[in-house]
Amino acid sequence: MRRVARYAAVALILGLALVLTLAFRRDPHDIRTGTVGRPAPAFTLPDLSGSGSISLDSYTGKVIVLNFWASWCIPCKEENPALTEVWERYRGTDVVLLGIVFQDSTDAAREYTARLGNTWPSAVDESGRVALSYGVFGPPETYFIGRDGIIAGRHIGPIDARTLITAIETLRTAPKP
Amino acid sequence: MTRTRWLIIAAVLAVTVAVGWSARPHPVTEADRVDRIAAELRCPVCQGLSVEDSPSDTARSMKALVATRVAEGRTDDEIRAEFQRSYGDWILLSPPLLSGSGLVWLAPIAVVIAGALVALDRTRVKAVPVPEPSSDEVRELRELIAREEREEGTQ
Repeated sequence: MRRVARYAAVALILGLALVLTLAFRRDPHDIRTGTVGRPAPAFTLPDLSGSGSISLDSYTGKVIVLNFWASWCIPCKEENPALTEVWERYRGTDVVLLGIVFQDSTDAAREYTARLGNTWPSAVDESGRVALSYGVFGPPETYFIGRDGIIAGRHIGPIDARTLITAIETLRTAPKP
Repeated sequence: MTRTRWLIIAAVLAVTVAVGWSARPHPVTEADRVDRIAAELRCPVCQGLSVEDSPSDTARSMKALVATRVAEGRTDDEIRAEFQRSYGDWILLSPPLLSGSGLVWLAPIAVVIAGALVALDRTRVKAVPVPEPSSDEVRELRELIAREEREEGTQ
């Protein structure tokens, strides 16, 4: 009986240590959103340029790179050259780069895009609901949506051109649904 | 009955009535539900703050969404599930028991059980085996007892 109690205590302590080790070894910034692997939440938002609206449905069948950004976000400025490179590379193809303005004023966002010379479309998510539906923590965050409308991946923080191109090419070469 | 006893009975009755009155069922307003659900949701851009307690824009957006869903007639579970779909169980400040995060609830129980087992092991009286006396020892003891009995008899 004594031996059983001793082994049980050791097993419990080891089990607890294992659980805590597994729980704490995960990078808290790498929390997986619940939306990866699921259909991309649909949205229709005002176009930042002021001309009409942007609807995700209108890009069905294309590879979509959805980038959440804000003019006050320093890392967004860091990743802007990579986004520009990808925009120029895939412009007019079956790849769409869409920006979503996250918690920012429309005027500040327009001034930002004009200053940096960004010409890809951006939508204004004034209520923040689209960001919430995607599980956004904060800008910059980039979501990759396949032709089938499923969110294939997410990148938190500033992204570089190589990561963008690798993800895009993976989705482009995936079999069509 | 003495005056002191009456005072004790009156005090007990007063406390009982007060507790009963405060625990009475009262209608939950939509605002109450919004506050309660917001208090259960984690603010994604804060350090350990609930949506209810956080002044951030994200928390405000989340609380506004909760208020909209409550006004639409959604249940609490449906509203929580909507946030779980976007952020996973992490978004709940109290993770469900039947989930990976729910293991955190078992940790204190496991510690208590392990501690109890260790304490039980330490405090148990150890049974020391007593060797059987040899025939010489038995004879010596008998002689000693007989001698003492003789001495007691002579006194």
